[in-house]
Amino acid sequence: MESTPIAVVSGLKHHFGATLALNGMSFEVGPGQLYGLVGPDGAGKTTTVRALAGLLEANEGTVRIDGLDPLEPGSGVRERLGYMPQRYGLYRDLSVDENLQFFGDLFCLDRKTFNQRRERLLGITRLAAFGDRRADALSGGMYKKLALACALLHQPSLLLLDEPTNGVDPVSRGELWDLLADFMSQGMAILVTTSYMDEAARCSMVGLAFRGRLVLEGRPADLVAGFSDVVLRVEPASPEGMEALESALVQAGDVVEAVTPLGSGLRIVVQGGEADRVAADLEAAGANVRRLTPGFEDLFLSRAAREPGGEAT
Amino acid sequence: MTPGLMAVMRKEIRQVSRDRRMMPMLIIAPVMQLIIFGFAVDFEVEHLKTVTCDLDGTTESRELLRRMTADQSFLDIGPATDCLRPHEDIRSNRAEVAVVVPRGYATDLLSGHHVAIQILADGSNPLYGRFARESATAAIEAISAGVMRERLELARGLTQVERTIARPLPQVRVFYNPRMKSALFMVPGVAAMILLIVTTIVMAMNLARERELGTLEQVIVTPLRAWELILGKVLPFVIIGCFDVLLVLTVGAWVFDVPVRGSLLLLALGTLLYILSTVGLGLFLSVAAKTQQQAFLAAFSVMMPGILLSGVMTPIENMPRWLQPLTYLNPIRYYVEILRGILLKGASLSDLSFDFAALAVFGVVILIAAGLRFSKRVD
Repeated sequence: MESTPIAVVSGLKHHFGATLALNGMSFEVGPGQLYGLVGPDGAGKTTTVRALAGLLEANEGTVRIDGLDPLEPGSGVRERLGYMPQRYGLYRDLSVDENLQFFGDLFCLDRKTFNQRRERLLGITRLAAFGDRRADALSGGMYKKLALACALLHQPSLLLLDEPTNGVDPVSRGELWDLLADFMSQGMAILVTTSYMDEAARCSMVGLAFRGRLVLEGRPADLVAGFSDVVLRVEPASPEGMEALESALVQAGDVVEAVTPLGSGLRIVVQGGEADRVAADLEAAGANVRRLTPGFEDLFLSRAAREPGGEAT
Repeated sequence: MTPGLMAVMRKEIRQVSRDRRMMPMLIIAPVMQLIIFGFAVDFEVEHLKTVTCDLDGTTESRELLRRMTADQSFLDIGPATDCLRPHEDIRSNRAEVAVVVPRGYATDLLSGHHVAIQILADGSNPLYGRFARESATAAIEAISAGVMRERLELARGLTQVERTIARPLPQVRVFYNPRMKSALFMVPGVAAMILLIVTTIVMAMNLARERELGTLEQVIVTPLRAWELILGKVLPFVIIGCFDVLLVLTVGAWVFDVPVRGSLLLLALGTLLYILSTVGLGLFLSVAAKTQQQAFLAAFSVMMPGILLSGVMTPIENMPRWLQPLTYLNPIRYYVEILRGILLKGASLSDLSFDFAALAVFGVVILIAAGLRFSKRVD
């Protein structure tokens, strides 16, 4: 991003007791950017978001939003921040309207502004018909959209979404991402965390988090294009052939970066230069081998494998 | 009144009025408790079940027993099962008191010798023991004075007698609660207790609930200041608490004839200061707790000693000397003194200035402590 970043995270380190949650997490999110912090559970995504929201003081490193420290509540940083936590954060015994009204009041919106924004947000989230419904009577997807509306009422310059699509049905997930794309195009800076690798493609920038820091960062298209590894689907000719296949994989050694089950066979990520040799060896061991289009998951797995103590999942 | 403060208050009131379990707890429970405590906690003793052993069997001995059980103190339930072991009736719970008139009572009395009358009382409840001793002594003294008078009358003549046996007699007048009804003593104490339970527990669980449900986080990331959040949560419960006091006093006046001899305005001021303290205490505990359960237990374990060390049940003067200074840290102590002072004695502000000042200091300190602790504890 050419313009000055809105959120800056640099060198964050944090541990909870003996567990290291963050180990040098650094990235920036600029205006009009939809930044996806992608990684498995325990990669430090939520801790990073909480540090940005001013809910956690990291042991080391700094966090800035528009140059302001989120831990200084009087600095005006909270007016610039919209936060949607992973857990339910709205009052479930209050209705949709009452929740919106409450958060509108907390951000000191005047009546006219509030009504305008409420109309607009209820419209785009398609919740207008449910104003009187209590929040605990909403479906998972509707609830997330209400939480999003509450976080957007004050038109923040940075929107933080912690696993917004977790536990949401596929249709609502799609809608949620469409909304985010809209906000991004209006110039908002958005940080989304997700453990669904396929959602990374919808971000304008992706950071792959593993063990408390980023292992890869870039535009999704560039990352996939720059991925030199080859993904193979390997299937033994018969169920008995699996053993021979596994010993062939062990022989291939470090060039095989990831192995995951796929149907009755395996999905393996192999270093680009070695792919043909490994494929030939596997076929010799009696397996059917087919090339697959690499996805983010493969990207992540191959990167994680190169980390010290890697061999992720 | 900032918009944030207003919003929090409005939200709290909405949530309380929507919670079906909350309203009964805040309104019906106090009245029930007052009535139950007011009737059940009774320090007056009457109709002690009494067995008698008349080993003398004379007119005089029968007269003695008749006169002893004539008033409401002792209820004659008949002779003891075994006059050699009258305490067996007490041990088996048949009687609370046994009176034994020894053989030769009438002869000794008439010949001018000392006579001992044995009174056995159940001391497993100290109230019975003490009461039996006092009533029996009074009854026997009255009887023996009568006997003496009759005898002297016979011997000399009345006018001289009065002079000879003249002695100072105590004439006790009990102020503020002349009939010594324990309800008058208890109701102010119960009002203080109920307020404590309602406001402290509800408040302690309130913030812990928000933390447990995750709503607190969502509020913390808004520009709302810590003091707005805390005051916004405190004020609605202060109002509910004031309403409860009014309710309890009305019921107290109606059911137990508890008077209001002092200024209602002063009472309102005292109540306000007290509720500030109890709500502040609840909030303070709430800030430390991670779950509602923890908050509830913390509130409970603070409240029990608080009530026992307040003088609601037993006078502070009766507590061990080393324990008494602790009661100065107890807001319940001050409020009970204020309530009893205003309701029963018609005390003025200058009479109660120490209690008011202490309560105000406690309330402000605990609220500030809770606020500071809360704003430091973001994660």
